[in-house]
Amino acid sequence: MKLSRITTLVIFLTTLALLLAACPAPAAVPAADTDAGAADSGAAGEFKVGLVTDVGRVNDRSFNQSAWEGVTASAEGLGLAEDDIKYIETQDAKDYADNIQQFVDAGYNVIVTVGFALGDATNVAAKENPDVFFIGVDQFQGETLPNVAGLIFNEDHSGYLAGVLAGSLSKTGTIAAVLGTDLVPPVVAFNEGYVAGAKSVNADINVISTYHPGEISQAFVDPEWGAATAKQALDQGADVIFGAGGITGNGALQEIATADGAGETVFCIGVDTDQWNTVPAAHPCLVSSAMKLITPGVVELVNMANDGAFPGGNYFGKADLAPFHDFDDMIPQELKDLLEETKAGLIDGSIDTGYGN
Amino acid sequence: MKNSPPVAVLQRIRSRYGTALLVALALVVMSIIVNMTPLKEQTWLRVLFGVSALNFTLRATVPLVLGALSGILCERSGIINIGIEGMMLAGAFGGFVAKTSTNHWPLVASLVFSVVVAMAIGGLMGAIHALFSIRFRMDQIISGTVIIILALGATSYLYNRDAIAEGKFSSIPIPGLAQIPVVGPVLFDNPPITYLALILVVVVHVGLFYTRWGLRTRAVGEHPRAADTVGINVNLYRYVNTTLGGMLAGLAGAFLVLEAVGQFQEGMTAGRGFISLAAMIFGNWTPFGALGAATLFGYTQALQNELLLAGVTQVPRQFISMLPYVVTIVAVSGLVGRVRPPAAEGKVYETEGSE
Amino acid sequence: MATAFPIASLQRVLRALFIPALALLAALLAGAIVMILSGDDPLAAYSGLFQGAFGDGKGWARTIRKTVPFILTGLSVALAFKVSLFNIGASGQFVIGSVFAVAVGVNFEGLPAFIHLPLALIAGIVGGMLWGAIPGFLKVYTGAHEVIVTIMLNYVASLFAGWTVYAGGTQGQTPGPLWDRTAGAISETQDVLASAQIPWLFGPPYRVHYGIFIALAAAILIWWLIFKTPLGFEMRTVGHNMRAASYAGIRVNFTIILTMALAGGLAGLAGGIETLGLNHKFAPEFGGAVGFDGITVALLGQTHPFGVLLAAFMFGALDGGAATMQFESGVPADIIQIIQALVLAFVAAPLIIRMIFRLRQQTQEEAASAVSTSWGGS
Repeated sequence: MKLSRITTLVIFLTTLALLLAACPAPAAVPAADTDAGAADSGAAGEFKVGLVTDVGRVNDRSFNQSAWEGVTASAEGLGLAEDDIKYIETQDAKDYADNIQQFVDAGYNVIVTVGFALGDATNVAAKENPDVFFIGVDQFQGETLPNVAGLIFNEDHSGYLAGVLAGSLSKTGTIAAVLGTDLVPPVVAFNEGYVAGAKSVNADINVISTYHPGEISQAFVDPEWGAATAKQALDQGADVIFGAGGITGNGALQEIATADGAGETVFCIGVDTDQWNTVPAAHPCLVSSAMKLITPGVVELVNMANDGAFPGGNYFGKADLAPFHDFDDMIPQELKDLLEETKAGLIDGSIDTGYGN
Repeated sequence: MKNSPPVAVLQRIRSRYGTALLVALALVVMSIIVNMTPLKEQTWLRVLFGVSALNFTLRATVPLVLGALSGILCERSGIINIGIEGMMLAGAFGGFVAKTSTNHWPLVASLVFSVVVAMAIGGLMGAIHALFSIRFRMDQIISGTVIIILALGATSYLYNRDAIAEGKFSSIPIPGLAQIPVVGPVLFDNPPITYLALILVVVVHVGLFYTRWGLRTRAVGEHPRAADTVGINVNLYRYVNTTLGGMLAGLAGAFLVLEAVGQFQEGMTAGRGFISLAAMIFGNWTPFGALGAATLFGYTQALQNELLLAGVTQVPRQFISMLPYVVTIVAVSGLVGRVRPPAAEGKVYETEGSE
Repeated sequence: MATAFPIASLQRVLRALFIPALALLAALLAGAIVMILSGDDPLAAYSGLFQGAFGDGKGWARTIRKTVPFILTGLSVALAFKVSLFNIGASGQFVIGSVFAVAVGVNFEGLPAFIHLPLALIAGIVGGMLWGAIPGFLKVYTGAHEVIVTIMLNYVASLFAGWTVYAGGTQGQTPGPLWDRTAGAISETQDVLASAQIPWLFGPPYRVHYGIFIALAAAILIWWLIFKTPLGFEMRTVGHNMRAASYAGIRVNFTIILTMALAGGLAGLAGGIETLGLNHKFAPEFGGAVGFDGITVALLGQTHPFGVLLAAFMFGALDGGAATMQFESGVPADIIQIIQALVLAFVAAPLIIRMIFRLRQQTQEEAASAVSTSWGGS
């Protein structure tokens, strides 16, 4: 009894001291509701770019981060002040419209909204505010509005290239994909392309792929599921594994990087950006990444908005395979040539991935 | 350890868990047969008994069983713990911070240190839970809820996304045993926390049922007034057990960060703490029962993956994913043998001197 | 209600508000300390928060819009507390309510609004009631504790809802029954027909709909039910002492099932209102996190329907101002979550508040815990 009393007393005194130490702070809180901060940022510049993330964080090592890097890069290029670019991290899917409105009210000229789920809210805001430019990442535009550019990608193309690469590298005849949820269309497109690409070099190849089973809020942030599932695929004889699904996919890449034979008999392929740069732990197995280059796409569109040459409607960003980095010597020249041919074929339309038909 | 020769222990285990052991044995035999013979070409048999499914099961089981053991320690002493999820997450975060700040140490030293930190942070959360529940007489379910929300908010707020942990625990095959076909690679070729979790099941079982500490803990959870009368310090036992429980949940977090993934991610426990809770209840507040339940839940997760990997999609995947939760509801509803919680759970115990 | 407050009851109200107000203050202080320790500016953050919640018409609109679901999920949890039941399942009931409401909302083209909208709202209530009745039923007939059952049902609800709008993926799975066939690969329902949408009280850009009045009415109705009806008396008696209630001839089992069903209905109504008033469709990302917050709101409101109104308003303001806070000060909104957890801790343990603010005396009402629970249940 004595011991527990003394312990609680000590803990309590510490807390109390901390709280009392901060006592002066609250008196100032109610008084501080002037909008000095808003006035400052409002007067700073003439061209301002805001970004609304999908539910999640701006530095998520995934698509929110890529888009934000696009904004910061374009701000550098255009010589914007630090105060002229800002982001709001969405907490709840219901808040998309509010968060966009926040930037509209603050007089932002360009608003980047990240993720297909923001599509509706973006188009509604665009109709209400025809003099503000909107860049909707992953948002397919069914109707063309002059002030909305949907930055979209042929994920199936880069997935197809990854499939060609995986199918050619595989010795066991089994390859795998560990994916975020199929509730999100781009993930499905990557996988469809991957399967088609692999079958194009080896018609008998066994492609095993699985989507995260949980709800949408967990599907991209469950690295342990990604890792365990990658292990499961390895156990089933897969020797090239495509990890496509944010942090979940990164978990898969890291698992394969520590597997027996990583980089010699077992390989992994990343997604979205060149993951050689974003997931160093995956270096032992990472032959390439199926990229959709959000960052340069955002930069191009912001610049066009600044130049007054904003393209409304769908704007296709680059979807490509990342460099092989350390594996460059391992990839035979024929395979490199095949990939180049395939890329050309995908662009001119002579190769069809079968996605969306 | 009083009057409990190993044989008696075995007998008791066998009588109580006879059916479960039989099922487990059947599974092992089936999986050996399936994996060693051409039968593995059969899709359905491979889905059910393939090595990949068994490996996934064990891996999914580890955090669940550690979480369940955490719950057992708390609840056997009379403190309800629905905050396992929060303790796990806090432990994972603590382990991650420790690992990133000791990246320059030798790998093993850094990892072991991080595990210790993870357990300490988990233990701290456990101690806070005990403090809330005992000293401040907060409703224990609410206190657990506070632990969860606090851990989620604080770890997200404090998480430095640029920090990278370098290295994680790798497998240590046990010489000899690891060479056994099928069973070897699944059970005896694992990283250390996995072994530790399995050992802890036995340790907690023996501790709870065959030591003076265990007897007293159970007395405190079942009948605190009587325990007090014979001179047991009820609240001290509750503080200690809840803190120990928090440490086990922290170890589960360490498993996720330092052994399974190698990185931290906000909310990476992804509901595993809640499923542990279910495993604890399904296992009737016993360590081996919890292990059985956790294995079952791990197995259902493995199956839903196996089915997708095998291209079986006749049943919508959402319904397969529901299995662990539905099984739990069925279990707590007493449709599969009634479970009984410790009698004095959730009630504040007040001695004359506690005010 | 309509009659003037006697002094005594005014005092009682003030006393009831005392601890929650101090709890909020202490939580804001603690939040400030956390911010200082991690190098953020608490003054800028709180001023941004205040501005975002009340700074202008849009701020008020955000706050009100956020308040509506908090009122209903808070009432859901509070009503169950009155019967000593812990409803952690409000988020599952919310999701099922959303799905039921949207199922009616996208169908029945041609129905006039005065039939279609109430029908859709009732569907939401019914969905929530069914989902809430399950744990009540299991508790009564099998002894299964409602906490564990509701936690599990939350997962089941979310998976079920995901299936109903599932686009089918690529592996040949059949799409869900509510999936919008024109949405391509996107898993979501069609937009709710105009005749089932809750009309705007203030249209865009304010987007405040009439749902706030439904929520207020629900609070008054629940207050009346608990304190002014024989059924409410039975509920409170069961909550106080189940055995005594049973001896007194109260139908304990019936009361438990009914209470859980009503609690579920309230959360389901919240889902229905959010879907028909604001989102106008259902998609997996519209989850039921707001149901989990209902616990905190109910406790902060001292489980009294009017206390829940105040608490919901406060939470609405915290959430409504969060984005502006980040916009103005760069402080991430996770700090709001920390503050909410601390508010819950301080409210649930008035002893802590009394220690921090060095208060002595303790009223009897506070000494009695809001809930007393164990897995054992009855």
